[in-house]
Amino acid sequence: MASLTMTETHVTDSRWIARGVERISLSRFLLCLAPWFVLLVIGVYAAGLCLFYGLNQTNMDNRFAFGLWIFLDLGIIALGAGAFFTGFLVYILKRSELKPILNTAVVVGFICYSGAVSILMIDVGQPLRAWFTFWHPNTHSMLTEVTFCISCYLLVLSLEYIPILLRNRQLRKLPSFLIFEHQLHKLVPVLAAVGTLLSFFHQGSLGGLYGVLRGRPFAFRDGIFIWPSTFFLFILSAIASGPSFLMLVTATVEKVTGKRLVPPDLFRRLGLISGVLLAVYIAAKSIDTLIWMDFTSPAMGFAPWLSYMHKPFGTPILFAEIVLFGLIPAFLLTYRRTAAKRGWLLSAAAMACMGILLNRFVLTVQTLALPTLSFDEFLTYTPSWQEVASFAGVIAYGVIVYSLSYRYLPLFPAQKGDETHVSGR
Amino acid sequence: MFPGVDGFHWTAGHIIFLGLFFAVAATILTTVASAAWRSARDIREDRAAGLCWKSDFAELPVHDRRCRHELAGRVISRTCDNAFNCGSCGKYAQFAVLPARGDSNPSGLNYPDDRLYSRDHTWVKVEPGGTVSIGLDDFAQHVLGTPDSITLPEIGSEIELNGTAWQMKKHKQKIRVRAPIEGTVIAKGTQQDDWILKIQPRRDVKDPLTTRHLLRGPEVRGWIVREMERLQLQLQPLNTAPTLADGGTLMPNLMDSLPHADWETVLADTFLEA
Amino acid sequence: MSARYGMVIDLDRCTGCGACMMACAAENNVPALPKATNRTGLTPMLVRKVSNGRNGVAQREVFIPILCMHCEQHTPCVSVCPQQAVEVDRATGIVMQMPQRCLGCRYCMTACPYHARYFNWWDPAWPAGTEKSLNPGVAVRMRGVVEKCNMCHARLHAAQEKAAAAGKREIDPADYVPACVEACPTGAIRFGNLADPNDPVTQESHSPEAFRFLARLGTEPKVYYKSKEAWVRALAEAASSTEVQHG
Repeated sequence: MASLTMTETHVTDSRWIARGVERISLSRFLLCLAPWFVLLVIGVYAAGLCLFYGLNQTNMDNRFAFGLWIFLDLGIIALGAGAFFTGFLVYILKRSELKPILNTAVVVGFICYSGAVSILMIDVGQPLRAWFTFWHPNTHSMLTEVTFCISCYLLVLSLEYIPILLRNRQLRKLPSFLIFEHQLHKLVPVLAAVGTLLSFFHQGSLGGLYGVLRGRPFAFRDGIFIWPSTFFLFILSAIASGPSFLMLVTATVEKVTGKRLVPPDLFRRLGLISGVLLAVYIAAKSIDTLIWMDFTSPAMGFAPWLSYMHKPFGTPILFAEIVLFGLIPAFLLTYRRTAAKRGWLLSAAAMACMGILLNRFVLTVQTLALPTLSFDEFLTYTPSWQEVASFAGVIAYGVIVYSLSYRYLPLFPAQKGDETHVSGR
Repeated sequence: MFPGVDGFHWTAGHIIFLGLFFAVAATILTTVASAAWRSARDIREDRAAGLCWKSDFAELPVHDRRCRHELAGRVISRTCDNAFNCGSCGKYAQFAVLPARGDSNPSGLNYPDDRLYSRDHTWVKVEPGGTVSIGLDDFAQHVLGTPDSITLPEIGSEIELNGTAWQMKKHKQKIRVRAPIEGTVIAKGTQQDDWILKIQPRRDVKDPLTTRHLLRGPEVRGWIVREMERLQLQLQPLNTAPTLADGGTLMPNLMDSLPHADWETVLADTFLEA
Repeated sequence: MSARYGMVIDLDRCTGCGACMMACAAENNVPALPKATNRTGLTPMLVRKVSNGRNGVAQREVFIPILCMHCEQHTPCVSVCPQQAVEVDRATGIVMQMPQRCLGCRYCMTACPYHARYFNWWDPAWPAGTEKSLNPGVAVRMRGVVEKCNMCHARLHAAQEKAAAAGKREIDPADYVPACVEACPTGAIRFGNLADPNDPVTQESHSPEAFRFLARLGTEPKVYYKSKEAWVRALAEAASSTEVQHG
């Protein structure tokens, strides 16, 4: 206890916190983050086990060659799409009303992508060979496109993160940092444009990843030009869920800090964007599903109902994807009366994000669980603790990076001087 | 294409795909490189001070960014968004002709009318012969008392507007004083002098634009009154408000009298640090 | 002249003895993995038992050896590999896996409809002393890469070397026979060049009793199966799966 008291009285990080903003004391901050640090340490340990002893530490197997990690990677990359999409709206379409959320979008995107890339590095059997893709790429593979675009886009996100980082109160005191921040910030629209291009392709390719699997009739889709329809569905669903996820993150931060950080109108704006895109996505997905049921799947000798005869992957899951987590949130996000109520808006945003996660889950897990050969079994798989812990570690990493960014960096422009207190903390 | 890969053959797909990829990678790297190059150029061409000030200015709280015309009572409320650069402000002339309110002498503090004042508590006095002397204003002197040390620039060195003029230390706090005017240092003051540096301004002081950004006359009072209010609010937790507000005067040598106040914040506000 | 090596497996002759699996493992230096389950083991050749789902006298069972089908068209695993570790050898029609290039992303495994690809979940290990019995012509695979049947490529190499030494361009077909074919006691697995219309295997593959699994996927697998039993032939397509129980 003595050391704790010392911390409270002597150690302070106020020099690193922007002037005029209110932050909890360092000791309380560290105390709040302590559980996440513990989780991160466990996650790093689990990841270390997988790297050291190999992927036998997971419960994946030859049939379930992709598991929890790929599902969650696809999920967080879809949710992280808010970063490129907000950048696109602000810098390319000049929707400056979204500016207050831009920095959060960049940080969330950075966390999602860096987290996904770290998990991918554990997920592959020989991580040290990752550069082979750049040396002798197979340009027909969706995974090549994904690898190229994600690595480039992570670089773009890091570059977009740098100007925010350099505006820290102490870092900005170094003139060269501040000048670089200034100059880089001027060029951020270029990065936003490049980010949009890259995201368009890798979100799509992640969808294409499954759409091209001729050997998996549940996932295989006929294509438009060289891309299967899932390519376009993934782009749509990612930009539909991205703004919703940003809304959820910001609302959570507002709840935790007890502050109003963005203009209240902004949530409705994000909700509207999300809702409209979600409606378009659901329409496209419904058409796609019908085409698959009537043409694609039967043509390969698979009656579509074969894909829905194994519990728990029955038609209810399709219904949940399209109606419960699709049409309903799309309606709630766009209908004036429900969108005006914060509770409805946030619940709808959460449902939209769940819907996208469900879609990624179905595409990764159901695809692999379903039999292909007539005498195959329907298989199930439960992730090992190492898989769960590694991913929990990534979530902890995200929470910690975001918390540090919130504490030390100017994430929300309205923070200076005129923060409005919602309630006592 | 790449060394050591058996059986690799070029296809149109490779050319399109790799062409796109390397174009994107080149764009990203060019962006960073050009940002770095432009930064280096800014620093080389002494634009750093101005750019840093612009950035710092954007970080200032709203109450520190009041327009001089609001301080003089010519308008009710106006926030500056031009980094206090009145010389390039389109609205300056429009408000300058309006009548000001109040007299020019801030209560209890010494702000002679023959000097011009900068928001970071320095003054500028135009000397005969086109040089200027600069020094610390009365408010800052009351707050600081005698600094523990002062580091002055060398004679002959250039100082930039809103860049560092000189540095001081007091109670382990480092204080950077921004230059109210740009030019060459021609003399350094001693303890006996009331001025700290003499400057040969880069631009002619007879041109009103050279000193347009500095406060004068009724603006000074409005500004100092606000600064006093701010200081009072900041020191209030120490329950010393009566001594400060006593008859509207400022106690001399505040930093020595009230060693436990949050001087870091007070000094940052006083000297317009972000 | 390029070949298209393929197989016809007569399921009516297969007794499920597993000699092909053993021969395959011995030929290809497949390690013994004490911790492996039937879902994580390395079985480039795997004999599966399938029942017709009836009871009593109506019950029938069949053993089906499953290996890489060496798909000719739209080869699912080839196009997905990000770093060209999988290739269809144009000279032989064999789908080649290059473990030394493999990243271990396992995308090819999700792509394969036959589940004929296997990941090295463990470091390869052999019980003390048995490493002396390793086949010097086949490199062992490291942990974290994918492997599969390559139609005993080492044997093809040996046959090619022998032909080259004799100054011939073409190999003698008798010199190149995969281990499983050689080991099968009932001669159920037959191996041949499907590009050669006179090859008995080619002719057998045209028999009305011959079929291929999941042919409607359009991948043109080069491993054919053969049975006189209609219910066995019906296993070929997925649509029949309700009528069949698996064993």
